[in-house]
Amino acid sequence: MNTDDINFAYKVRHALNENLDALPASTTDRLAAARAAALARRKPDAASKPAKRPLFDFNALFTGPALARLGVAIPMLALVIGMGGVYQYEQQEHVAALADIDAAVLADELPLTAYLDHGFNAYVESQQRQQ
Amino acid sequence: MATDKELSDFLENVERRAFKQAVYAVRKDESALDIVQDAMIKLAEKYGDKPAAELPMLFQRILQTTILDYFRREKVRNTWISLFSGFSRQEGDDEEFDILSSYEAEEGTAAAESSADQFERAQTLRLIDEEVEKLPARQREAFLMRYWQDMDVAETAQAMGCSEGSVKTHCSRATHTLAAALKAKGIKL
Repeated sequence: MNTDDINFAYKVRHALNENLDALPASTTDRLAAARAAALARRKPDAASKPAKRPLFDFNALFTGPALARLGVAIPMLALVIGMGGVYQYEQQEHVAALADIDAAVLADELPLTAYLDHGFNAYVESQQRQQ
Repeated sequence: MATDKELSDFLENVERRAFKQAVYAVRKDESALDIVQDAMIKLAEKYGDKPAAELPMLFQRILQTTILDYFRREKVRNTWISLFSGFSRQEGDDEEFDILSSYEAEEGTAAAESSADQFERAQTLRLIDEEVEKLPARQREAFLMRYWQDMDVAETAQAMGCSEGSVKTHCSRATHTLAAALKAKGIKL
């Protein structure tokens, strides 16, 4: 757009602004009411919101008051004891499972070396197919 | 982030122009007022925490979307009306806004002008208003955002969802169309 076009555009703007001054009072009142309604429903300021306290504040263990320290220390202790218990239980289950396998292998009539023999495996498969 | 006062000042500064923009688009004062109110509330509710510098572009975008939503609702409503009724839609609302009558109520600003001058000026302003309203929607949006809302090309492009080149083209065409139309009516700015 050349300078003449821009000048023309700004003259139109001036005319439009003059028209704005002639809006009826009922319209300007309604616009003011709309503005007030909008401001009342404004998105709350992030800074004005109270700081959200984390559910589990680790720093409180060293810096907070005695009650806050207990509030952090007790759940932590319970967590450590619980994890230790779970570990022990899993270890016992693992040992018991190995013992069961050992007992089953030792009690079997078939010698252990038979499982390493390819011919025996082929024999077992052919037996299964016939069944 | 914009303060309460910045947001309030921004809305106060933009509300009347936004109303006229909506009137140009929907041609009904009541609907235009509803659209501006919706746009203001959406801006405050969803973007009230944005910096003041971003508010003009965001508001224009919301305003354009709200106007589009209005047309969509009207289209659906008209479809149902045409299905159930043979009567055409009443057009009475279009004629409620008489800018000349409001100019007669104007006081002080044109005290030095004679009645004939005032009448002529009011008529010129009304004709300009009408010609702006007659512009194709996209050209009008671009023209008003650029030269009335003081938005730059990039902001206008973002608000309209088009390229900066398209904004320049729309603005240029709108200016030439307006100039030709006003010249044809014997109006020289």
